[in-house]
Amino acid sequence: MGVKVKLDPFLQHLAGGQEVVEVTGHTTGECLEDLESRFPSIKQQIRDKRGQLRSYCCILVNSESTYPKELTTAVKDGDQIDIVIFVAGG
Amino acid sequence: MLTKDDLTRYERQILYTSFGEKGQKRLKQSHVVVAGLGGLGCSTSLYLTCAGIGHITLVDCDCVELSNLNRQVLHYEEDVGEGKPFSAAQKLAKLNSSIEVTPVFKKITEHNARELIKGADLVIDGMDNFKTRFILNKACVAEGIPFIHGSIHGLFGEVTTIVPGKTPCLACIFPAVSHRQVSFPVFGVTPALIAILQVTEAIKLLAGFGSLLTGRMLYFNGETMDFTFRNLVKNPNCRVCGTKGV
Repeated sequence: MGVKVKLDPFLQHLAGGQEVVEVTGHTTGECLEDLESRFPSIKQQIRDKRGQLRSYCCILVNSESTYPKELTTAVKDGDQIDIVIFVAGG
Repeated sequence: MLTKDDLTRYERQILYTSFGEKGQKRLKQSHVVVAGLGGLGCSTSLYLTCAGIGHITLVDCDCVELSNLNRQVLHYEEDVGEGKPFSAAQKLAKLNSSIEVTPVFKKITEHNARELIKGADLVIDGMDNFKTRFILNKACVAEGIPFIHGSIHGLFGEVTTIVPGKTPCLACIFPAVSHRQVSFPVFGVTPALIAILQVTEAIKLLAGFGSLLTGRMLYFNGETMDFTFRNLVKNPNCRVCGTKGV
């Protein structure tokens, strides 16, 4: 059993339409790296040129905000990471 | 008090059992602020007007441009160059002369946001940028006014209803969004659809029936025609509505 990453609807087409992807890692950052290695276009969407998480991208663990430890929050098997994108248009 | 004309105009929605004349009276007594008269705000204010909201305040600081006309349905070719609140108010007054529509041609800022929404029963998010959304969110929390958030990008959209003191606010969900303005793609249908959902929430909230998108974000994906939900969690340390907030 690994960690589940639930993708924002905005990102799902970058993962072949999947809503949930199972990954491995001990922290949110490690889990995201595993996800990005399998779906590189997700990395382009959620990271800036320096590799920092974009500010409109939020990381939740078991529905709770990880801010300001978006990439360093510890996770364990069975946890769910949500990647939430804030779209701003109107 | 509903007039004879009100009973005729709103006959078909008054027939809705859990709404009725009581619900219609509540809409007539309500004041709603529509913040932004772009794709979302045009459609929300149009349907709020149809529904018979007694007083609608329209706030925007921009003028109509030709590139707006693929989605901002209250602005016509002849309005290019006109202030958006005035352009919208003219159309809405023709649609329903029995309600009050107040155009406010102002930029919403940290300094004037609370004054602009003070006394309203509800604020509808029709903004096109992060910064003003967070200003409005903070002002609504401070004034205790419900805020119906909507935003879009391309064929994607989202809606949630924020009730201060009860639900997570925007800053609970997005604690550190930067204020950088970015141009976004959009089809006219996306803000129209999200706006209709916002007004559906507004009618239920003001009239007091049904269940709301409180503590939940509804997502629309127009590419796949999927509607999905995400439960939202209040952040006790939220900089706006938490213990350290306003």
